[in-house]
Amino acid sequence: MPLVSETGEKIMEDDAAKAGADDKADGLTRRDFLEFLGASFAALSMAGCKLRTPVEKILPYVRQPEDAVAGKALWFASTCGGCSSACGVLVKSRDGRPIKLEGNPDHPLSRGGLCARGQATILDLYDSERLRQPLIGGGEASWATVDAEVRRRLRSAKSVRILGRTSTSPSLDAAIERMARRYPSLRRVVYDPISSWAIAEAHRRTHGRAVVPHYRFDEARAIVGFDADFLGAWLFPVEFIRGWSKGRRPDQPQGGMSWHAQFEPRLSVTGANADLRAGLLPSQEFSAVAALGRLVASHTGWTGPLPAVEGACGVDQGTLERTAGALSKAGRNALVVSGSNDPAVQILVNWINAMLGAYGRTIDIERPSRQAQGDDSAVSELLAQMGRGAVDVLIVLDANPVYDLGRAEEFKEGLKKVGLSVALADRLDETASLCRIAAPLSHSLEAFGDSRPVSGVYSLQQPTIAPLFDSRPALEAVLRWSGDRSSGHDFIKGFWRRKVYPHVHGAHGFEAFWRDSLQKGVVLADEPRMPAAHFSARAVSSLKPARKPAAAGAFELAAYASVALADGRQANNPWLQELSDPVTRASWGNYVCLAPEDAKRMGVEEGRVLRLSDGARSAELPAYVQLGQTPGVAAVAFGYGRTGAGKVAANYPTVKLFPIEKDLLAGANIRPFVASGAVTLAATDRTSPLSKVQIYDFETDPLLGQKRNIVQETTESAYRLDPHSGNPPPKKEEELWPRHKYPGHKWGMAIDLNSCSGCSACVIACQVENNVPVVGKAEVRKGRDMSWIRIDRYYSGAPGQPQASPQVAFQPMLCQHCDNAPCETVCPVLATVHSSEGLNMQVYNRCVGTRYCENNCPYKVRRFNWFDYAHQDLVQNLALNPDVTVRQRGVMEKCNFCVQRIYSGKFQAREDDRVLKDGDITPACAQSCPAQAIVFGDMNDPDSRVAKVARRSRSYRVLAELGVGPSVFYQTKVRNDSEKA
Amino acid sequence: MTSTLSLLRKPLVEGDKTCADVTRDVCDPLDRTPTRLWWLGFGLSSTALLTGLIMVIDQVWTGIGTWGLNKTIGWSFDITNFVFWVGIGHAGTLISAILFLFRQRWRNSINRSAEAMTLFAVMCAALFPLIHMGRPWLAYWVVPYPNPRGPLWVNFRSPLLWDFFAISTYFTISATFWYIGLLPDLATLAARLPRGWRKTLYRGLSLGWDGSQRTWSHYESMYLLLAGLATPLVFSVHTIVSFDFATSILPGWHSTIFPPYFVCGAIFSGFAMVLTLLIIARKVMRLEAYITIEHIDAMCKITLLTSLIVGLAYATELFTSWYSVNPFERFSTVNRMRGPYWPFYWTMVFCNVFAPQALWFKRVRRTPWKVWVISILINVGMWLERWVIITVSLHRDFLPSSWRMYYPTYIEVGTLIGSFGLFFTCFFLFCRVLPVIAMSEVKSVLHYAKDAPGVEA
Repeated sequence: MPLVSETGEKIMEDDAAKAGADDKADGLTRRDFLEFLGASFAALSMAGCKLRTPVEKILPYVRQPEDAVAGKALWFASTCGGCSSACGVLVKSRDGRPIKLEGNPDHPLSRGGLCARGQATILDLYDSERLRQPLIGGGEASWATVDAEVRRRLRSAKSVRILGRTSTSPSLDAAIERMARRYPSLRRVVYDPISSWAIAEAHRRTHGRAVVPHYRFDEARAIVGFDADFLGAWLFPVEFIRGWSKGRRPDQPQGGMSWHAQFEPRLSVTGANADLRAGLLPSQEFSAVAALGRLVASHTGWTGPLPAVEGACGVDQGTLERTAGALSKAGRNALVVSGSNDPAVQILVNWINAMLGAYGRTIDIERPSRQAQGDDSAVSELLAQMGRGAVDVLIVLDANPVYDLGRAEEFKEGLKKVGLSVALADRLDETASLCRIAAPLSHSLEAFGDSRPVSGVYSLQQPTIAPLFDSRPALEAVLRWSGDRSSGHDFIKGFWRRKVYPHVHGAHGFEAFWRDSLQKGVVLADEPRMPAAHFSARAVSSLKPARKPAAAGAFELAAYASVALADGRQANNPWLQELSDPVTRASWGNYVCLAPEDAKRMGVEEGRVLRLSDGARSAELPAYVQLGQTPGVAAVAFGYGRTGAGKVAANYPTVKLFPIEKDLLAGANIRPFVASGAVTLAATDRTSPLSKVQIYDFETDPLLGQKRNIVQETTESAYRLDPHSGNPPPKKEEELWPRHKYPGHKWGMAIDLNSCSGCSACVIACQVENNVPVVGKAEVRKGRDMSWIRIDRYYSGAPGQPQASPQVAFQPMLCQHCDNAPCETVCPVLATVHSSEGLNMQVYNRCVGTRYCENNCPYKVRRFNWFDYAHQDLVQNLALNPDVTVRQRGVMEKCNFCVQRIYSGKFQAREDDRVLKDGDITPACAQSCPAQAIVFGDMNDPDSRVAKVARRSRSYRVLAELGVGPSVFYQTKVRNDSEKA
Repeated sequence: MTSTLSLLRKPLVEGDKTCADVTRDVCDPLDRTPTRLWWLGFGLSSTALLTGLIMVIDQVWTGIGTWGLNKTIGWSFDITNFVFWVGIGHAGTLISAILFLFRQRWRNSINRSAEAMTLFAVMCAALFPLIHMGRPWLAYWVVPYPNPRGPLWVNFRSPLLWDFFAISTYFTISATFWYIGLLPDLATLAARLPRGWRKTLYRGLSLGWDGSQRTWSHYESMYLLLAGLATPLVFSVHTIVSFDFATSILPGWHSTIFPPYFVCGAIFSGFAMVLTLLIIARKVMRLEAYITIEHIDAMCKITLLTSLIVGLAYATELFTSWYSVNPFERFSTVNRMRGPYWPFYWTMVFCNVFAPQALWFKRVRRTPWKVWVISILINVGMWLERWVIITVSLHRDFLPSSWRMYYPTYIEVGTLIGSFGLFFTCFFLFCRVLPVIAMSEVKSVLHYAKDAPGVEA
């Protein structure tokens, strides 16, 4: 029964229950006794009818954990273990199990954002295909046996190597150092599956310091990217998106918009957001950077040595001049980045940045990043040693080199000559299955840990659940093997006492500091800066690019990290497998992206299976015709084709559906091809349709050629002149019926199309929060993906129209919660109804599944449960959000603005005895958005952020002309044209 | 006895049939064992029915996902079949009720089977709204009745709910009308039969018909009243079915022309189906004397008229979409004609607008096989019309990002076949247990246009 409290909050309160409780205070009279007797007879006979109700016993806690209240979520600050970016997270824990990760707003780098992969790590925790106990030679063993064996071999070993991916944990570094002191032959080798070694190597040669700098996109006014997908999966996208989006807000009074140019072989999500984009071949990158550098040199009056220009650079002179002009204008606030792993290219990039004076402003090497420490030369050395049989003990620490090392074959051969190989891995993956000992590694949510992603930023990772399996965190394994019996927690605490605490100002007493740090999750330490390093131009003059153009008839390979899977370590994660790529809109498996010209020349259409070959090896992948891709390039994503990750990675349908899919092409591992850099493609006679969630790519229709005004756009210069440009005021429509009344709240949302980069973090956030099912490749192919929020991607132009580089627009699309919702009137059983707060609500248990609402929804945001997307994996089911119903088959579902969060926000306000205030309620999508493009709030409150944004000149509503009265306000996209030729 | 033919009118029954002949001709097939041809037809249609049954069990068991629908296209074969079958039913009611009220006495020999067709078609139609639901076991939730779930009421704004009322009313009235019309014939059947369970059954079913003046008087008043009740249904049912689309906001559905357009389409397709059935039935059951070329000719004329109206509706749709200057509306129309599903649109236009033009020619109208071919084309065309309206409008609507293609699965095709199986199985059974021609009514027109005692001029 809804009541209105003093604070004006509409809340639910069961006062009937209260009244009943008062009655029971009296003793039992004779009359009551007879009543109960009658009632119990009735109950007994009723019980016979209720055959469907299962009888289960609920046991209370023997010892109630502190703070554990059934049904109440607890939040813990921690650190994301998804990749080495180490973003700050808040872990939502319900009834003792973590169920959701959200960005920690206090974290200085990620600032509340969290990418799709980071959020999906929650499902990695509950992956039933994780390794459950240590194995020695394939047989089950105990940790004690493993410890004894490893230590026995370590003691006698003459050469010990630890191979791992970048770990940002300073205490793990310390523990390994300690282990190295005990076993002096121990060397640690770090690699990154997607290597950024060239950046560090270039800085070693130009600045005398092998570091990956801390890039400050938030300071940049002109950004130039050379195949650096910094809004996608290059280095640390959450922080980069956050920084980049800061410059994409034209309404901000100061400064206006930043300018962004991108030169790349394939259309990346970063290129899709660029103000200027031009294609080039990977082999032309060196010349392009050199040519740009020479132009910048002439602008800045550079007197030092100049690089030789090698061959054609693929980019026309005018574009380069425009870019150089913009960079020079931005001066210190310019930033040039490159995704190349060729030190020669990176040296040129450093040179340009140094000429512009970006070091110290947009590039920080005094407090550099620690997030990518891979050293390709050390890996080569290790491979050589292994090949000689010179490694006695090899410990593979949370890495999968057999899959993700470029020279995997060499590694595999070498592994056979290693005396004892130990893999600490979360599953029996490609590497662990070849090692003598495979030991289960704890998930980052199961263990204590710490992280230092950037010098001076320390964050803590705390366990939120006891290890599900007999696993151990890497830190503890290292400690045990070096003879230290202390727990990970004690070791980290000790390390922080010695190394972190002394650098933190204003902390009083270590224990208080420690508690405070655990609570906040992140600490800023005033570590001494590294001394300033100056650019040395010596390296510039005699550079030669590593990459050569492909031979005639061959394609240059552009292998890239996809937004969904990146290096593939999470390949068994169904959420990520089903996350459609922001640009290609395809999921489940990789494919060869071809330029339309090449596809036409080869007579290849989308879905045709191509045989990709570099002479030594071949793989089969379906073709994808990608607009905006440079002709002569074959682009393929890393991360797919994993054979040892599990069933999901192998593309088995998550639910055995009928008819069972025959084609199980699960993608191919492209890494072995990277070394040669060029591939040949041959069409086979088979096809394998891609599983795409969007099959038409343009706002312009194919028949009449009319552009639909769905994503409104303008240019910065037009916007400066007229803030309403691109956003004509809608025609006033007479309404036949009185409007709905919203006496209390009226929920609304605003989405800034200008800062949305299409990163898809919101899609996963929604999936986690709302128990959105995964349907599998076959179903996505049929157009039955279940996402409640999707990111539509439109190209400029029309189909078939040749475009070297189309303009791209992203548009998050979710239920618009229309005031005059077309879905509501057509449901025969009132399963979708309007709330007094403007929500369009879907009542799952009332829905009979006529799908009429789906047909009548102009935004097509409703999703139908075509089957029982049964949650058969019991371990995986632990990730379900208990606040949200799991839908039965035959039921319609859709975005509800996270109604459970609205209610918990209201309850919290009531508990605190205060009025609900703006910002108390944040839907999952808005919370996770690294760009903070989504604002949610009460439209009835004129001072709420959403109401303010909705009043902006850029604000419009999609398809408002239909009179449906959507509650989602989009902000016109503004392209920065200030650097016109 | 030779009779002189009227100069002005043509007889409605050919040959010199007496009342006894009529009874014999109509009832004898019921007493004989079925012919081989009947077994063949029944075997085929019951096989189709069984196929459909397996398909339905499979989709109810597994889920609607066995169909080819997706997040954009929520209806296709299901509602197409529904509208198609409801439409088929319309001719029966038109023949039995409207033509009755207009004193078109030639209808007397075809109304029984046409009405039976109506009933079976409505049964087929009713199947689809039921099985198209995601949770068909909860279908009773669309019924507004006091219930222990709150009580939760239904949404009176939803055209699907109106559909429920329209269809159930239509079925009830049609069934009652048909049954009342059967009473005298049931009594005749009972009277012919020797003692036995069949006699008892028919006797009971005839509700104690005694053939008295009083009974006839009551019967005829009742029949007239029911005809009056059924008449508006011919228009209302398909009007309401069209509201499923007209009241939505989807381009291609949202159109005020839909009610008359759909009603005409329904009568058009219904007559085509009556022709398809009766041209076969009169031959197989040797009823040429009763269902004459004149009948076929008359029905062809109605078919031609409705075809012209349907053609006009198509043209009006084109005009309004152009005249509206609504980009979505225009695209929707052009997409039908030039989009990926263009062959279906043009097949539809050919079948529904061009092919029936042959009926302008008397030679064609009076050649049963030619009419039969045209009737089959119309059936195909009218099914396609509904499919084009429903699916082709849905597959490309407002946001191009949501555009999808639709491909039916064998389950959907099998269910459509099954609905034909249900229809024909019912029809074959009907032919075996009830008089396919309304004997009592035919007897009243035996002497029409024949110079015989007691004949009206």
